[in-house]
Amino acid sequence: MIDFNLVPLMPEIFLAITAMGLLIVGAFQGNCTLRVISWFGVGALCLALFMLTRIDWHLGAVLNNMFELDTFSAIVKVFIIIGLVASLALSVRYLFDENIVRFEFPILILLAGVGMLLMVSATHFLSLYVALELQSLSLYVLAAFRRTGLRSSEAGVKYFTLGALSSGMLLFGISLIYGAVGGLAFDDVAMVAAAGDVSPLLIVGMVFVISALAFKVSAAPFHMWTPDVYQGAPSAVTAFFAIVPKLAAMALLIKLLMGPFYAMALQWGQVLYALALLSTVVGAFAALVQDNVKRLMAYSSIGNMGYAMIGLVAASPAGVSATLLYLVLYMFMTAGAFAIILSMRRGDLQVLNISDFAGLSQTRPFLAYGFAIILFSMSGIPPMAGFFGKLVVFEAAMEAELYVLGTIGVVSSVIAAFYYLRLIKVMFFDPPEDAINDDTPFARYVVLGVSLAMVTFFIFKPAGLMDLMDSAAQSLFIS
Amino acid sequence: MEFLAVFTPLLAFVVAFFFGKALGHKGAQVVTCAGILLAAFAAINLFFDVALGGNARVVELAPWVISGDFAVHWSLRVDTLSVIMINVITIVSACVHIYSLGYMSHDGARGRFMSYLSLFTFAMLMLVTADNLLQLFFGWEGVGLASYLLIGFWNHKHSANAAAQKAFVVNRVGDFGLALGMMAIFVVFGSIGFDEIFAQVADKADVTFDLFGMHVHAMTAIALLLFVGAIGKSAQLGLHTWLPDAMEGPTPVSALIHAATMVTAGVFLVARMSPLFEYAPAALMVVTVVGGLTAFVAATIGMTQFDIKRVIAYSTMSQLGYMFFALGVSAYGAAMFHLMTHAFFKALLFLGAGSVIHAMGDEQDMRKMGGIWKKIPYTYAFMWIGSLALAGIPPFAGYFSKDIVLEAAWADHTWFGNFAFALGIAAAFMTAFYTWRLLIMTFHGKPRATQKVMGHVHESPPVMLGPLAVLAIGALFAGAVFYQPFVGGSGHHGEEHGAAVEHAAEDSHVKETDVLHVSAEDELKKIGAEIEQEVKAVVSQDAAHTAHESDHGDNTHSDAHGTGHDAEHGADFWNSSIQVLAENDTVTAAHGAPLWVKKLPLVVGVLGIWLAYILYFKSPTIVPRLVEGMKPLHTFLFNKWYFDELYDALFVKNSIKAGKLFWRGDKNVIDRYGPDGVSAVSVAISKGMSKLQSGFIYHYAFVMMVAVIGGISWFVFKFVVEF
Amino acid sequence: MIIQGLAFLLFSGILSISALLVITARNPVHSVLWLVLAFFNSAGLFVLLGAEFIAFLMVIVYVGAVAVLFLFVVMMLEVDFVSLRQGAMQYVPVGLIVGGVLFAELVFMYGGLEIEAVNQAVTEVQNSQSIGLVLYTDYIFPFQVAGLILFVAMIGAIVLTHRTRPGVRRQNIAEQHNRKPEEAMEIRKVTTGTGA
Repeated sequence: MIDFNLVPLMPEIFLAITAMGLLIVGAFQGNCTLRVISWFGVGALCLALFMLTRIDWHLGAVLNNMFELDTFSAIVKVFIIIGLVASLALSVRYLFDENIVRFEFPILILLAGVGMLLMVSATHFLSLYVALELQSLSLYVLAAFRRTGLRSSEAGVKYFTLGALSSGMLLFGISLIYGAVGGLAFDDVAMVAAAGDVSPLLIVGMVFVISALAFKVSAAPFHMWTPDVYQGAPSAVTAFFAIVPKLAAMALLIKLLMGPFYAMALQWGQVLYALALLSTVVGAFAALVQDNVKRLMAYSSIGNMGYAMIGLVAASPAGVSATLLYLVLYMFMTAGAFAIILSMRRGDLQVLNISDFAGLSQTRPFLAYGFAIILFSMSGIPPMAGFFGKLVVFEAAMEAELYVLGTIGVVSSVIAAFYYLRLIKVMFFDPPEDAINDDTPFARYVVLGVSLAMVTFFIFKPAGLMDLMDSAAQSLFIS
Repeated sequence: MEFLAVFTPLLAFVVAFFFGKALGHKGAQVVTCAGILLAAFAAINLFFDVALGGNARVVELAPWVISGDFAVHWSLRVDTLSVIMINVITIVSACVHIYSLGYMSHDGARGRFMSYLSLFTFAMLMLVTADNLLQLFFGWEGVGLASYLLIGFWNHKHSANAAAQKAFVVNRVGDFGLALGMMAIFVVFGSIGFDEIFAQVADKADVTFDLFGMHVHAMTAIALLLFVGAIGKSAQLGLHTWLPDAMEGPTPVSALIHAATMVTAGVFLVARMSPLFEYAPAALMVVTVVGGLTAFVAATIGMTQFDIKRVIAYSTMSQLGYMFFALGVSAYGAAMFHLMTHAFFKALLFLGAGSVIHAMGDEQDMRKMGGIWKKIPYTYAFMWIGSLALAGIPPFAGYFSKDIVLEAAWADHTWFGNFAFALGIAAAFMTAFYTWRLLIMTFHGKPRATQKVMGHVHESPPVMLGPLAVLAIGALFAGAVFYQPFVGGSGHHGEEHGAAVEHAAEDSHVKETDVLHVSAEDELKKIGAEIEQEVKAVVSQDAAHTAHESDHGDNTHSDAHGTGHDAEHGADFWNSSIQVLAENDTVTAAHGAPLWVKKLPLVVGVLGIWLAYILYFKSPTIVPRLVEGMKPLHTFLFNKWYFDELYDALFVKNSIKAGKLFWRGDKNVIDRYGPDGVSAVSVAISKGMSKLQSGFIYHYAFVMMVAVIGGISWFVFKFVVEF
Repeated sequence: MIIQGLAFLLFSGILSISALLVITARNPVHSVLWLVLAFFNSAGLFVLLGAEFIAFLMVIVYVGAVAVLFLFVVMMLEVDFVSLRQGAMQYVPVGLIVGGVLFAELVFMYGGLEIEAVNQAVTEVQNSQSIGLVLYTDYIFPFQVAGLILFVAMIGAIVLTHRTRPGVRRQNIAEQHNRKPEEAMEIRKVTTGTGA
């Protein structure tokens, strides 16, 4: 009989049921319940977070070895939930401003969240696949949420089609792995991989699987959907895309690489090397000529994922810890950045060109200075938190003697700094445009405030987060 | 107490500068004057406490740089030497602050001016209270900055800006030497804190290091490098060209910075590093020679100038030369003594000149003055007092200090000491001459100014005359009063002193009371060896209790004090703030100099006055013919020995050429391949990448497929290769 | 055995050809029909493998639902396939090369393959029954999550396409039941011969 212990799944079950309940409320009461449902969703997420911290993190795999809540996944889940809360909080006012008031929005976010939480705990390729699909499908719908707009529909179609392609690759890879191993649990795969000669079929299957995940993480050369989708989707959705799914997908990738594929570290190390290298370069160069700030953030996220992956190439606990730290810090920075981007409205319209930021320091000084701090952090300038993220990642790379990768990463980082600093220059040194609207909701200020607090005060006690990430990484290697 | 003395000017600067707009001119003036007066009071308090009471101390404030072996703290070194300087600085600065209230009353930026004055005062105080070379350097550079700001204060005047820049750049040359000296000290001593250095000097006396294959005596090299810094800051011959031009600044600035304080920083530096210089006799020789030459050259130039401020500026340069050759013959106390008296009478002269300029409607050319002594009697009187002090006429302050300096030079009995003595005597003659030339040209004779100007000539307001009075008191009495403690002798020799010069009953500070009473009683007796014990006993009864007085006010008359007792009184006064090796103690030896040596300066001084009287008052027609007759010499002197022209040809023009060359190189090579090149390439790459992002789904899918297949091919390839 | 070998060749051959024809046919309806054929043949392959349940699923779901849906969409939407397909020919060479490379590598990978089953094959129980045995026990977790995926799909479909047409009359039973006479009726006195 299988281990039918549902306790580790409590947060996810709770969120799924809440989503269903909220759906019923919305279905009967109509779109005016959007606000209520959103804040209820936030509350449910907080409750789920609380539950998560109360569950024992050492129960082992349950449900026929398909789901495990270990330290690594629990810590990642904590931050996923935080990211979900931020995304929901940012979205409410936006939907009203843009006149796409539909109550399904927070529900879709909740369900995507469920998918992400399940994904991170997967210990079987099958559960990996279904959780990934759950998350992806919600994201496809969200991307096309503004169904009357051309851009949004385009974004949805592109994301869906390419996502389907990547799912196909994933399944193909899984099938090859099954062919090589005879079973689909991570433990089985790890056992076979470690047992000696790794069959080429396993390696090919691994390449397919990693490619599919690279698509989700928008690593180059699987990144081409990112700029179009980020630009086309409604800004609150873009914010969600940038903040949370990357963390979840990366965590899944880490789990895969350090779990079943660990014995093939030599091989996937090369793949990841190429991915990281390309991502940092593409993220740095391609954004130099961009005008739209959402597209800019898309390329920025590509580059950032590249830096995060540099830490993985090392295949060591230090590297994993570095990657996790980088991702979490990136999540906070992005939340803050999007809080500001969402505030860029003039009258009824969003204004998202770089030139629209001109003179923001005089019209909305708090936003401008906050954005400047976040941008400095993103360029990796101390004493902001972003510097530490880059520091630990490059440290891990140097320790593993990946000198070329580290050097190219640093150079790309410098080139990328240009477009961050250009925004700052436009905000502070260009003559001001007409002022943007002054009605930023309180929730957005809260998100921005938390983001700024993390970015500026991280330096005072870096050990807190870093130790957390270390313990998460260690737990991956012990088992 | 030392905090009050040092940091109130800083506070005043911060408030006046940053909140100047809010405070307004009045507020800024009030804040700065209050701050400096407070500091002055604290300084006097410190004098009684530290110099007389013997409570020298080092107060550590905060760590500054801790890097491996190199540890430097912010700290205040409060000993006799620094306390004397603090007093000089704060008192003269206070006078200048108050004077500026009147002098700058028509200036639109007077608030900023006052704040700069306070900034300067703070920097100078930091310099003299430094316990290590780094903090000293901080103050050194700070006064350079303040000097720049103040010389170029009227920044709409092109000449002022040029002068400020010249001052800064020339100073920089000197600073380079100072910095090298600091680094050399760190290499040799392992530290740049004074205590550590002085403790090790005796041991390191013979250390040499190799430079370009030559064995260089470490102490000499260090001392020379430090002296280079002093040359720059104190406008000694070689790096002196900035001082006359610095007269572009407002007159209070000249009084404060270029007479009393900043230019004396070099003297202070050498005095402070006396333990080190004592072991570098070659360096001392250089110092003496340079000082002597400076004294002489400056005096020659001063005789020919027409700008009233320039004459005084050259006299400053000359007097600084005196201080340096005093230092060079190890007469540190004498040098400091002359520094102090000079501060008073030179500041008095400058401020008086300012008063004249103010009266003459901003006219500075003496050829356009004359015949105004009746109209501005107070100014006239003060100028006389200052001039008498400068020329070294007893009982004014300059007499005492100048005399002891020249005596010490003679008493050194070396070729360079005698050289300096000769030059110093010549300079004394010329000093007296041009000083009275100035007085007579400015105040006497037929008025050469226009009717309009003459009609406006008026005495300065009390706010300007008050500080003049205070400085006059200093110029009158400082010499007599402070002769004993400053240059009383080092107690090594129980010599008999020459005939005591009687000083008329004057003021003295009560702090002298104990010793004074003793000395008054002993005045009639010849001083014998028992004096040592007596005075020792007296001195050991703590002389710390004093009736404090302000510098402005009441002076209790007490008896005159005798000339130098050879007791440790002098040594106790200086404590260990300066050190003189026994064999070098020229100050004490000076007291035993023969009478002709002691009187010669006075004689030549009187001669100089008489000559000036003849040439300018009695028979003014002689001068033009004299000038004609000595045309080449006169032109040479008038053009300042052509130093500026020489430097311009040698250094300035070549620097500009080199700069242009590098600029072209920078633009065409470095920029082109560096930032500009890289950025152009980056943008090109970026545009290329944008084209790749076509927007077509099938392109994206294709790229993905190709990537996956590429990955697989890679591994197939490796697999195959392995077989 | 020979029959199985022949059957395999037949099914896979027709499958490959009809798959090729799906993408090369000019008429979109023809494309869908070739697709249906391909589905049927893959169902046949599944039968050969001994997975008859999946074969049924292929036919019922893929052919019965998906392919029919495709047909409906193709017929109802007037998509100008002719202009869309213009210029497709220029990509064929590249596509062939890339595809060929992939094919070669997969062949290479598959050759010399020996599968070692970690889990024992189950032979006593029939196909459908065996699926039933594990679906709600061992694989309950993916099953539930799959349900959630369907849930999301439903929401997505409604969010993206559902339009509320104005002026559509709907019945609200509860409202109807709760109607009171005062709201529904109005009694007026009418004099005979005149209207209300």
